[in-house]
Amino acid sequence: MKLEEIKVCILRIEGTNCEQEAYDAFKALGADPEKVHLKQLIGRSPGELRRELDEYQVLMLPGGFSAGDYVRAGAIFAARMKSHLAADLENFIASGRPVLGICNGFQILVELGVLPSFDEIMSEAPQAALYTNVSGRFECRPSYLKHENHGKCVFTSLLPRGEIVAIPVAHAEGNLRFPSESEEEFLMRLEENDQVVFRYVDPNGDYAGYPWCPNGAIGNIAGICNPEGNVLGMMPHPERAMFRYQHPDWTRSGGKPDAPGDGHVIFRSVLDHVSKRF
Amino acid sequence: MVTAEIRIELKHGVADPEGENTKKALELLGFKGIRSVKTVKVFEMDLDIPASEAASVCEEMSRKLLANPVIQTFRVQLK
Amino acid sequence: MGSKELTRKRAVPFPLFEVDLFSASPDELREMSKTMGLNLSLEELETVKAYFKARGRLPTDVELQSIAQAWSEHCCYKSSKCFLREHIFGIKHPDVLAKGDAGVMAFDDEHAYALRVESHNHPSAIEPYGGAATGIGGIVRDVLAMGAQPIALVDPLFFGPLDLMSVPQGVKLPKYLAQGVVAGIRDYGNRIGIPTVAGGMFFDPSYTGNCLVNVGCIGFLRKDKLLNNAVRGVGDVLILVGGRTGRDGIHGVTFASAELSSRSEDESRGAVQLGDPITKEPTIHACLEVNERGLVSGIKDLGGGGLSCVVGEIALAGGCGAVVQLDKVPLKEAGLAPWEIWVSESQERMMLASPKENVESILEVFDLWDVPATVIGEVVKEQKVSLIFQGEEVFDLDLDFLTKGPEYCRPTAASNVSTLLPVKEPQLPESWNSVILSTLADPNIACKDWAIMQYDHEVRASTVIKPLQGKPGLHGPADATVLKPRTDSFRGLAIAIGVNPWFTSQDPYNGGRSAVDEACRNIIAVGGRPHALTDCLNFGNPEKPERLFEFKEAVRGIGEMARDLDLAVPSGNVSFYNETAQGPALPTPTVLGVGIVEDIRKCVTTDFKVERNPVYVIGETREEMGASALYRRYGGSGGSVPAVDTSVLRSRMDLLLGAMSKGLIRSCHDCSDGGLAITLAEMCLGGDLGFEGDLGALGDLPTAVKLFSETNSRFVVEVELSRAGEFEALAKEHAFRIGSVGRSRMTIRDKGAAVDLKTQAMRRAWSEPLWRSLG
Repeated sequence: MKLEEIKVCILRIEGTNCEQEAYDAFKALGADPEKVHLKQLIGRSPGELRRELDEYQVLMLPGGFSAGDYVRAGAIFAARMKSHLAADLENFIASGRPVLGICNGFQILVELGVLPSFDEIMSEAPQAALYTNVSGRFECRPSYLKHENHGKCVFTSLLPRGEIVAIPVAHAEGNLRFPSESEEEFLMRLEENDQVVFRYVDPNGDYAGYPWCPNGAIGNIAGICNPEGNVLGMMPHPERAMFRYQHPDWTRSGGKPDAPGDGHVIFRSVLDHVSKRF
Repeated sequence: MVTAEIRIELKHGVADPEGENTKKALELLGFKGIRSVKTVKVFEMDLDIPASEAASVCEEMSRKLLANPVIQTFRVQLK
Repeated sequence: MGSKELTRKRAVPFPLFEVDLFSASPDELREMSKTMGLNLSLEELETVKAYFKARGRLPTDVELQSIAQAWSEHCCYKSSKCFLREHIFGIKHPDVLAKGDAGVMAFDDEHAYALRVESHNHPSAIEPYGGAATGIGGIVRDVLAMGAQPIALVDPLFFGPLDLMSVPQGVKLPKYLAQGVVAGIRDYGNRIGIPTVAGGMFFDPSYTGNCLVNVGCIGFLRKDKLLNNAVRGVGDVLILVGGRTGRDGIHGVTFASAELSSRSEDESRGAVQLGDPITKEPTIHACLEVNERGLVSGIKDLGGGGLSCVVGEIALAGGCGAVVQLDKVPLKEAGLAPWEIWVSESQERMMLASPKENVESILEVFDLWDVPATVIGEVVKEQKVSLIFQGEEVFDLDLDFLTKGPEYCRPTAASNVSTLLPVKEPQLPESWNSVILSTLADPNIACKDWAIMQYDHEVRASTVIKPLQGKPGLHGPADATVLKPRTDSFRGLAIAIGVNPWFTSQDPYNGGRSAVDEACRNIIAVGGRPHALTDCLNFGNPEKPERLFEFKEAVRGIGEMARDLDLAVPSGNVSFYNETAQGPALPTPTVLGVGIVEDIRKCVTTDFKVERNPVYVIGETREEMGASALYRRYGGSGGSVPAVDTSVLRSRMDLLLGAMSKGLIRSCHDCSDGGLAITLAEMCLGGDLGFEGDLGALGDLPTAVKLFSETNSRFVVEVELSRAGEFEALAKEHAFRIGSVGRSRMTIRDKGAAVDLKTQAMRRAWSEPLWRSLG
């Protein structure tokens, strides 16, 4: 399908707050994004605002503090989706359409049980947690990510494996954890399924601890996809690095300030995938 | 009416940065002799459901929203 | 309620009292003002009495409480207005579009920006987390009320020394206050998704009992969506939206208009409000949407004084009055008395005025976001406000009387201006190296990344020049941050703070001027042209002539600077009574400057870029050591505080902006706290490079002056090596070449003296202090 026909649902509730830049990112690439309140998808809005998830080709869960991140980051948004939208969401994912969760969106996908999604599209209970950063602090800082996916993830198809990208983080709960008794096994399954997408590295490209891994995530993991590769969750914010001039060091790095930034490729890859596949 | 207290605790072995940082902050404020600080979350709710069902309802609430089994345990206490 | 003899309960099924002002003696009036928490002077009470005498009836408690709110220093600027009128209000600027809850300035042909900064000092001193959070909430509402999307937060903070371990009774440890305030800003600002992009943390013993929490907000809007905080006329209704009303925040403004005492905590807990960012965030969306769709006539923020101030002001601004059904106001808890509902400052509330026929559509928008919205009254022709509670009229006041508060031109008296005192030289250690390392570690100069990285300074993805600059992980400081508010334009807004309380304390006039100079320098250093200022003037008790003198002089300095530099001052805020039994806070005029960046792709940062590039000081260095960081740190006193020559500042601005647009300048940093030595050190830090040079070019001054004088209007620039000739031809006598960018150490020679420091050592000194103190 044509790029301008690709409808992107940018889903939000109260406290979602990165929807504008997510919208701008898809818009900048020529797709047709729309900011949609969860109530519009579950029949709790006036008629002319009603939407169906099935109308869209891409679902995006932006960053923020949905419902204040009370209880746990992303838990309330996830519970609300699970109670009213579970079947629609499962169908959406099963049809191969891409779902992207950034920051709070990643937390929501984990709480929903659609990531890591080892055995089914949506597990009954969460299989992972995005837990409080090791520093115990909100961390807004630059980070470097190494692309580790072998080609399954539809959001990084245009990014060569091994490439380092600079994409900032801003979160207090990004520490990816598995149940301690299954830690080894889960890590192995992620590798086997080609589900690891990004790992935090230092500016030289080496795996490193805090602050380059801003949260203490297991295996330095910054982003994972489902076994099919069409659901990606990541803590860093690629929508904040669409152009060079959004990078923290663009005044030193030379090159054109308005050239694409390091986050651009994620949006480009997924739109490229959708336009070819659908 | 039943009053239920649901206590969400970190699983044994899960680090507690909030507790550790609180301890550090208290020490910076001059408090001495703090061996450890642990964060616990408690939800207290008044329920209009029969006491016989309350415990299982609270457990379901915990599983569906209040606790993430990967890092947390829950304990329900009816009052 | 008031003393029993003076109050009479009306025979209604809710608490409503009439207050017998007529028969009260002066002592009884004073007593009543105190017990009711009115904070009105005897003179003011006499005016109230005369008004009701003429009306031939006694006031209700609702009316008296409302008058007390409206006439508080916080709401009516009664002690500051005469000075502001003389020096600020008259400043004309063609780009000013509105002066309402926030000032609004033209950005380009179709767009505008809003700006305002205000204080939240007293609540933050009592409860730092909630006080600071609600400060953010309030300033965001001010900007939103103009129809603008809030796009940035700015928060200069002032505390006592962080290592203080004992404080007077009723005062909290500076460390605790700093942690709480930063956490409050973080948790509120991050949750509503507005980046905190600039600010500062300042430390002085005088702030121990009077911490200052100034919060600023910048908004952005299309010019055709600009709202004035006014009803359109009869036919409009008033819709209260957002949070519910409760007992939190009662008497916030009367509390803000008195000195803090050791008992303030117990007495004032009720005045500290609670914040709820997750009601605010959707309220922002909903307000912007109803404005976008043209459904509202005007919006106004419920801040100080709550409904009691907003209803009268929004109605009167449209030349009308209002009738309010007070019992329609949604409450947090049952049983609030009418006066409590009327003056409560519960958070997250906005007042919308709209034509009746739009109500349904408006309520629908708010309903989608699950934000309560309730029609509570309607606009009437006569300029008065009446309140109905359960069918009973409990309030009926003329707006002319209510909103025209008293105004005082109180006496001022110069305190001993210490510029006239003889200079006492500081006691300096032998080596300049140790002076520089120690000054870098001064909490006023040391890195503030402890706070900056807790704030989401990038949400909305438009922060293109960030508050930390240089190599990721090895950052140095920023002068101004730059936002790119439109996706389809490279035009930007540069945002910076200027304030020097130590200068102001020693020389209030030049302190005010220096604050403006600093804000302008910061804006120019990134490539912006200063456009508008807004200020938050934090001073002591205006009833004391020396305190008011400081205020008057600082305002004169700021006003003159703005006029001379063609800067608009479309909004401002005054906070008096920053004073405890231990003494006043330093006089602190905080200036928030906004500049226009023609093309953000030409912006410049502070970090050195390339080894061997030549480095220049722009502007003459003078012997102006008064109140400098060096003097403060090493026991110096007296001496002159830096003055400002606006024509010089202007020509340097033109020079630098010209050179930047030609791409000649690779890095630029203004000289401020700590002078040239600290400026050069900070440029080394961000670039992870060094400096090598000789200060001979600065003439025949003592080395201490060359290194540490804080002479205004100066910059350090790194110029592209291959274009040094081009730059020198342009800069002429403004530029003094002092050396070049080095590799990994800062080496400065002057006559016999020398500085030689590893960049790494300077980084350690500069980076660690706040982390050590604050954890």
